[in-house]
Amino acid sequence: MHRLLGLAALLAIALVLSLGLGAVPLAPGQVLTALALHTPWGGPADAATVTIIWDLRLARALLAALIGAGLAAAGAAFQGLFRNPLADPFVVGASGGAALGATLAITAGLSLAGAGFGPVPLAAFLGAMLAVAIVYGVAEVGGQAPAVALLLAGAALSTLLSAGVSLLMLLNDRALHEVFAWLMGGLSGRSWPHLWASGLYLLTGMVTLWLLSRPLDALACGEETAQSLGLPATRARGAVVAAASLTTAAAVAAGGIIGFVGLIAPHAARLLFGADHRRLIPASALLGALLLLLADDLARTVLAPVELPVGIITALLGGPFFLYLLKTRQRDLGGGR
Amino acid sequence: MTTLEVRDLRCAYDGQPVLDNLCLATHPGEVLALIGPNGAGKTTLLRALARLHRPCRGTVLLAGQDLWRLSPRSAARRLALAPQSNGATWPLTVEQAVALGRAPHRGWLLPLSAADREATERALQQVGLQGLRDRLVTELSGGEQRRVILARTLAQEPEVLLLDEPTAHLDLKYQAEILELMRDLAHRDGLTVIVTLHDLNQAALCADRLALLDNGRLQATGIPSEVLIPELLQQAYGVPVSVSRHPVYDTLLVVPLLNLKKAPYVRLPVPHQCPRPHPSTVQHYL
Repeated sequence: MHRLLGLAALLAIALVLSLGLGAVPLAPGQVLTALALHTPWGGPADAATVTIIWDLRLARALLAALIGAGLAAAGAAFQGLFRNPLADPFVVGASGGAALGATLAITAGLSLAGAGFGPVPLAAFLGAMLAVAIVYGVAEVGGQAPAVALLLAGAALSTLLSAGVSLLMLLNDRALHEVFAWLMGGLSGRSWPHLWASGLYLLTGMVTLWLLSRPLDALACGEETAQSLGLPATRARGAVVAAASLTTAAAVAAGGIIGFVGLIAPHAARLLFGADHRRLIPASALLGALLLLLADDLARTVLAPVELPVGIITALLGGPFFLYLLKTRQRDLGGGR
Repeated sequence: MTTLEVRDLRCAYDGQPVLDNLCLATHPGEVLALIGPNGAGKTTLLRALARLHRPCRGTVLLAGQDLWRLSPRSAARRLALAPQSNGATWPLTVEQAVALGRAPHRGWLLPLSAADREATERALQQVGLQGLRDRLVTELSGGEQRRVILARTLAQEPEVLLLDEPTAHLDLKYQAEILELMRDLAHRDGLTVIVTLHDLNQAALCADRLALLDNGRLQATGIPSEVLIPELLQQAYGVPVSVSRHPVYDTLLVVPLLNLKKAPYVRLPVPHQCPRPHPSTVQHYL
């Protein structure tokens, strides 16, 4: 437990440091003073600093952390559920479905941001659920989804879905730029409305996944074992898929396609905290948040004033790291079967 | 008194019957071995007993109650299955993996209770895994992983223990340990143990009663000497067997009668140890 708190503290420190990064560099002291403005401990703060923190940087940093946390928590759940260390929101089709759903909503003229449960996250959620249901339905044989069939079905459907997204983009050149910029996985220009539109979904999904950690432990041993441990396996599986799809969908709606966070963070969390989902889910979420926050810092600063889509950063950093992990710690990753 | 009772069971996959017209009853404190050739329906029967396969006709009664009327959770408190596959995909510690067996007893998100810890501890001791409790299951040998699964089912504290080929792929020592443990659990602790076994001599050695399945039907049931009859076995397995007294124990020994006269046994020349192989064997190779 104390190690989880340590990780949370690390995330808080990273958040403060990230808020200081940008065209106008700010010292951690300035950041903290500005952050404390709306709290009882708030003192006098520089108006420009307050504007930079509250209007420009804070919402984006929080959104990056939330998206990272959501993708990682969903990744941990998908890996456990499908008993496959290579499963993640992308492999099982959830991201592709979410992308198609969101693209449909955007080309239909709905805005990315919206108050409360916005229409784009909702469309993304429906897309993600449908995609996972199709993948599972195709791969399922007698109540079980063999990993190989699942991954193949996921890969096939993902290709189909991304073709659908491309087609929609070509048919709607009006929305082409907006969809393209969003799909690349960028957090550029994201602000409070985006945070409100997706944050609630993300938090709901993650808390639900954590509440499902006990059934997940049993499902991670296989459907038959889960059933013989007295779990209504089909229902539990459906609940996990729904919660993980919701989380993925909200993340994709808010940040586009951001790869590797949902794959790497759970593995790192498993190495640090073990495979027990009650600790694995929060640990993955915290690590995912940290990872995407730092990646977004890089995306904002490396080529400043030009911003890179954060998805490129996560892929550039995450790909080699994952290959390294796979090569050196194959057994700990659970790939030994 | 019966623990599990099967009445007129019929199981089918995609309309193809796998088990038919099957009646069977078990008693507390006995080991019942299900034997029969590959595809006879042993595993299907075990799955039907474990509430994993819904029969299309007939009933399975657990202490007089219909198994399918019980909730999955209350059934799992009384009946545990150790499947054949090693299910170690994730790096859980041995203790965590065994504590999973407490799932049907414990609350939703509550930590393990004192009773849960005791049951886990007892299960670890029963299979001799206390020393490995903090090791990761992914790092264990096949025999140790098999014992982890067995310990998990014991942590469920069931009345009925269902074991699918518990000795398959294990070396002699682990086979002996598992068979001894199985007998102890039945005779000392009063569990009902139902086990599928390929090795008829293991079945003869450990089981109180045998049930011979062939082609989805029960061909014979009874104490080993009533089932291990050469004619019955030849009919089921399609190979002649000899049944004799075990040289050490007061049990039966089943040996398949092989047709060994076909190919002459040729001792192969071993390089370096045999500098000049006999000319006739060399010719044999050329």
